[in-house]
Amino acid sequence: MALLALRLRTFVKRLSALSRHPYFGFVVFGIALVVLRLFALGGIVPNSLAKSLTVTMIYAIVALGFSLLLGYAGLASLGTAGFVGLGTYFIGHFSGTLGQTFAVTLAVSLAGAVVLGAVVGFISLRIEGMYLAIITLGLSEIMREIFKSFTAFTNGVNGLEFRNFTLFGAPVSEFAVDMIVIVVFILLILGTLNIIKSPTGRALLAMKNSDSAAQSMGIGLMRHRLLAFVLATLYAVIGGLLYMMDQKFSIPTTWSLDFSLNILAAVVVGGAQSITGIILGTFMIFGLNMTVLKEIAFFREFPDATWIVSGLLIILITMFYPGGLIRLINAIRFKLTAAIRKIRAKWRAYRYGEDD
Amino acid sequence: MLEKLLYVVLGAVGVYFAVDLLVFRRLAKRPLYRTRLQNALLLVAIVVGLLLAIREMTLYLFLQIVFLNIVEMCVLVLATTGIVLIFKTSVTTNFAQGTIATVGAYAAAKLIIRLTAETDLPTTTKLILAMIASAVVTFLIGLFIDTVIFRNSKYSNPVGKQMITMGIVLVLFGLMPVLFGLLPLTIEAFSYEGRIIEIPGMMPLYLPYHNLIALAITVGMLVLLFAALRFTKWGLGVRATASNETVAGMMGVNTKVITALSWAIAGTFGGVAAFLFAPIGSGLSVAFMTPVQVNAFLASILGGFSTFGGPLVGAVMINLFSSIASAINSVWTNVIVYVLVLLLVLVKPLGLFGRKTAKKV
Repeated sequence: MALLALRLRTFVKRLSALSRHPYFGFVVFGIALVVLRLFALGGIVPNSLAKSLTVTMIYAIVALGFSLLLGYAGLASLGTAGFVGLGTYFIGHFSGTLGQTFAVTLAVSLAGAVVLGAVVGFISLRIEGMYLAIITLGLSEIMREIFKSFTAFTNGVNGLEFRNFTLFGAPVSEFAVDMIVIVVFILLILGTLNIIKSPTGRALLAMKNSDSAAQSMGIGLMRHRLLAFVLATLYAVIGGLLYMMDQKFSIPTTWSLDFSLNILAAVVVGGAQSITGIILGTFMIFGLNMTVLKEIAFFREFPDATWIVSGLLIILITMFYPGGLIRLINAIRFKLTAAIRKIRAKWRAYRYGEDD
Repeated sequence: MLEKLLYVVLGAVGVYFAVDLLVFRRLAKRPLYRTRLQNALLLVAIVVGLLLAIREMTLYLFLQIVFLNIVEMCVLVLATTGIVLIFKTSVTTNFAQGTIATVGAYAAAKLIIRLTAETDLPTTTKLILAMIASAVVTFLIGLFIDTVIFRNSKYSNPVGKQMITMGIVLVLFGLMPVLFGLLPLTIEAFSYEGRIIEIPGMMPLYLPYHNLIALAITVGMLVLLFAALRFTKWGLGVRATASNETVAGMMGVNTKVITALSWAIAGTFGGVAAFLFAPIGSGLSVAFMTPVQVNAFLASILGGFSTFGGPLVGAVMINLFSSIASAINSVWTNVIVYVLVLLLVLVKPLGLFGRKTAKKV
């Protein structure tokens, strides 16, 4: 009996040590998502909720890449929509229309993302600040025109359908796609965490605060800007691949300025430098519409009116909490812990008497 | 024609490097001469390119397309002016410019329906009243945004302001269907007729009256704006605020009023632009000004935000480019234009008329 208790105690101790690992929270989050999806499979949770969460996760992946760019490298880009769209068309064309294996698609997509990211990175060396945002917006528009007009690749304005997705020769069910999304999402979160904490992440942060200071400390501007853009583009293209697996349809009108702005909003609302913040922000901007608001009668009558909520959220948060929701939450948490400490001190004073 | 254009570009690049290496290397003010040479070569290349394109597509076709595109040009110029005005005083790019304008156009369309149902005014009067309504609505929205939102935002940096403008876009996107209903609305053109212009030695050209009226309104508004900037106290204030907001405030310029008025006037320009643009598309929709806005941003970048006139030239150039490109290849028009603008901006990162300001470290 005593042995069992000892074992239990060591187990708890190990677990608490493990829980301090930076990965722990996100892995638990991933497991929770898997469990939620299983509940949806069992019919305990509505299926639509699970579907909207999957889409939100895909957007969160894109937002993660964008946060590396905006929150760490300090480069404002409005080209996200074009890159995500490109990802959807890569998988739609190579896996769908041409019937290639997924490995080929993945190789082509990632190579395409790297090349494109490097090109934008080179542009960012010459053009900075708001000019860069508008130039990337122009690039995104070029890509949207290509999506519209290059019908052999994208099926033009009618949109590209992507059915019968197969992996290793077997068709992939909806449930399997959701699992893939969850796994990729968690892996990318861990990857982002590693990049942020690595010398590269620190270099990016230094570059954001001051170009000149970073350069004088020996940080290569070109290398890191290219890297930031390549990473952001990779995340966006991966997001596009997953989007196509999940939604099975891609149309040029989706990949307009609104999409880029929404990703930007998600990152800013949540807090550009915190992964938890970005997940929260993405849920606020995209997930809230799909899960909560559409149940309200007013928003059923005017589906577009859900924009008002996210718009107001963005305005209020930028006006009063520029650090994003995560900073608001942290502030509340600090206040709460302070209050609890105070109450506890009072309780002690009451119970054991005042200290002299 | 493409080969010839390529020769022009290659020639310009060759001349630039040859002169730079052979002549300028021995001179003291090399960077200054370099920029001047760049400007001159760019000008020559653009003019030669335009002339080549015109020769390729014949002068008649060129003039006809330009005449038909006058409205687009006016709308683009008005929208660009609004964006530049706000950039000058608030140092942010206003993503809501197009959406605010759309609200104005919706209000105008609603007013026209109301007037048609309740009064029997002639069409032109109705349209003029509607245009004024559009301008007033957008004026008020601009004023509201600056006085209520921007003035009260605690920590404002350029990216934060950008975010706020995009929040405004979303709010207005959501509000428009609620306020104006889900039925499709339209605004009529001032006139659906046109004038045949005979030029000796050429086929007759067709010039719609709506375009002429749009041009007159645009030129009138621009003249008023530039006169105001040059001669009024507000204009002086705008110029002072544009050069340095803090110092302007210390010198007794009421920067708050200046900024609020700039937002309002920028809104008005957008409202009139949307009103003029509405008849030539396929009815009003929530996002019908978005392409104009994207082009206006590119025009501002092409001209450079440093001057008021530069972006306007940029807007006219983008319109000319797209006129020519649409004659050469109607499918890839926008791609050609965007790539051209991108290349020009890569050559001159601060815009064609941009001035370099020294950066403090």
